[in-house]
Amino acid sequence: MNAVAVSVFVFLFLVVTVLGFAAARWRRAERMDNLDEWGLGGRGFGTFIAWFLIGGDLYTAYTFIAVPATLYAGSVVGFFAVPYTIVVYPLIFLFLPKLWSVSHRHGYVTPADFVQGRYDSKPLALAIAITGILATMPYIALQLVGIQVVLDVMGMGQDSDNWVIKDLPLFVAFVILAAYTYSSGLRAPALIAFVKDTLIYLVIIVAVLYLPSQVGGWGHIFDVANDSFTTFNTDNADAIAAGEAAGKGIMPPAAAQWAYASLALGSALALFMYPHSVTAVLSTRNRSVIRRNAALLPAYSFLLGLLALLGFVAIAAGVTVGDPPNPQLAVPQLFENEFPPWFAGVAFAAIVIGALVPAAIMSIAAANLWTRNIYKAFLKRGATDAEEAQQSKLASLVVKFGALVFVLAFSKQYAINLQLLGGVWILQTLPAIVIGLYTRWFHRWALLTGWAVGMAYGTWLAYDVPLPGDPGSHFGGPLVLFPGAETTKVYIALLAIIANLVVSVVLTFVFRAMGVDEGVDQTEDDDYWADEGDQGVELELDPLAEPHR
Amino acid sequence: MSETRPHASPSRGLWILITVLLAPAVVLPLWVPLYNRTDPELNGWPFFYWFQMALIPFATVLTVLAFALSRIADRKDREARSETRRQEPPEGQR
Repeated sequence: MNAVAVSVFVFLFLVVTVLGFAAARWRRAERMDNLDEWGLGGRGFGTFIAWFLIGGDLYTAYTFIAVPATLYAGSVVGFFAVPYTIVVYPLIFLFLPKLWSVSHRHGYVTPADFVQGRYDSKPLALAIAITGILATMPYIALQLVGIQVVLDVMGMGQDSDNWVIKDLPLFVAFVILAAYTYSSGLRAPALIAFVKDTLIYLVIIVAVLYLPSQVGGWGHIFDVANDSFTTFNTDNADAIAAGEAAGKGIMPPAAAQWAYASLALGSALALFMYPHSVTAVLSTRNRSVIRRNAALLPAYSFLLGLLALLGFVAIAAGVTVGDPPNPQLAVPQLFENEFPPWFAGVAFAAIVIGALVPAAIMSIAAANLWTRNIYKAFLKRGATDAEEAQQSKLASLVVKFGALVFVLAFSKQYAINLQLLGGVWILQTLPAIVIGLYTRWFHRWALLTGWAVGMAYGTWLAYDVPLPGDPGSHFGGPLVLFPGAETTKVYIALLAIIANLVVSVVLTFVFRAMGVDEGVDQTEDDDYWADEGDQGVELELDPLAEPHR
Repeated sequence: MSETRPHASPSRGLWILITVLLAPAVVLPLWVPLYNRTDPELNGWPFFYWFQMALIPFATVLTVLAFALSRIADRKDREARSETRRQEPPEGQR
């Protein structure tokens, strides 16, 4: 533990905590007991703020910790984050303006609102809402894991056998996060986001410019990583042959090509169906803002690629990560070894604050979904504003505790697996949401059955994946063998979505032949093209208002 | 995933063009065998890495072009719509 680094870290963390609580007073609404504070969705954001908001979602603990960790561990498949963040923008460019249009015409605030309006099916909307909440939890869990590894590297609690002491710093960070989200709502992360973004850009730019030159340049870094993996493979040839350890390398083996492509595609399709990204996209001023952002956001992808390669930089810098090794420590440890202590403190604070902000936004988006599409739709139709606000606050607490359970219950060896499990789930809403933007050909009950099959099949596949070298364990990775293939692995989410689509198509024919009621579509073709200034397009979406025809 | 307008479709051709323009930004990054090799290296970077990094500015250029085309498409649609629906209030956004 370095006193200077810890002091700088604690100082910045305290600043953020004070900001978080002070946010309750920032631009105070006239009434604090309603959901208006959740109305970030209704501000009519322009290109600049949207760029910060959406881009901020990309830079989470995931990019700092989990992606470099996989490269450090010799699994180059983790570099799929780069094609993933390339592919996602053309998809956003084509799909999301349609969602913007139909939402702003009908007052939809969540994806479940859209599905309800399009398919006239409360069970299907409920399924979409539940999936959103469920999938958000492992995403938040990933943020908590990120906080945990930073605390570990700083020497807070890692050497204790007592789990209370070991996890105490994480609990403290978690309780503070929960407390200021509870009291300040979306204002807290919105205000802290400024601090977060400044710190993160500073650290990223310094890290990707300064560190590689410190350890001998990129060519040297690739050579050292390659040599180190080759040595590992030679030393562990028997274990690798027996399947007890995974071979390492800086290039993906041919058998992993499908895994690489399917992870990139699956994650790209999943990203914009998460409740928090839909909120960010719907809060833009018009369709052009979304498209312009799709052209501007790849700037983030470039830095993300360099960040991922910090995993190799850590190898070249001779970073070790304990025994048994925890690759997630690689980047924080690299910062501690190579940066002067005060800047290491800044970097640690950036990672932790960079984890807190998305965690807060995600939990609020999930809570919004609960209140709007479950509580008000099913449990209490005539809920008052105060009751709604109370429900949302409680739900955001429950979601965060759910995330904590994920962190404590599942393998922490590869934080990225947690998030990919969420991706498996959220992708099952694609037929109802994305395909629903283009056609209403699918039958609502077929979509619901397809969703259920995809969820069950995907979860079952993921459950059956053991951790490398630990037969009998569960949720050990996002990849399974392609059915019938010997070595070719593929991302579980893609298998599940294929099952989902097949069931949806077949049952649509069946239900239609049986004449099962299809419900009434409240949207018209023209709704999917409406833009700012067109008739009936609301600029500010009111989270309190009911969707309308 | 070509976007078509139900009525008045002056922008239809443009939207097909936009989709075709964006296709390489989706297909190339997913076509792993295309770039899964070490050579040629660039500044010590294996091909696998520098090619994917190079795809980012490439995809950006395509998206910027697509954005410019989408503005034209939107404007054409807007004009077509104000002709077919004169009851709408005048629109002066663009």
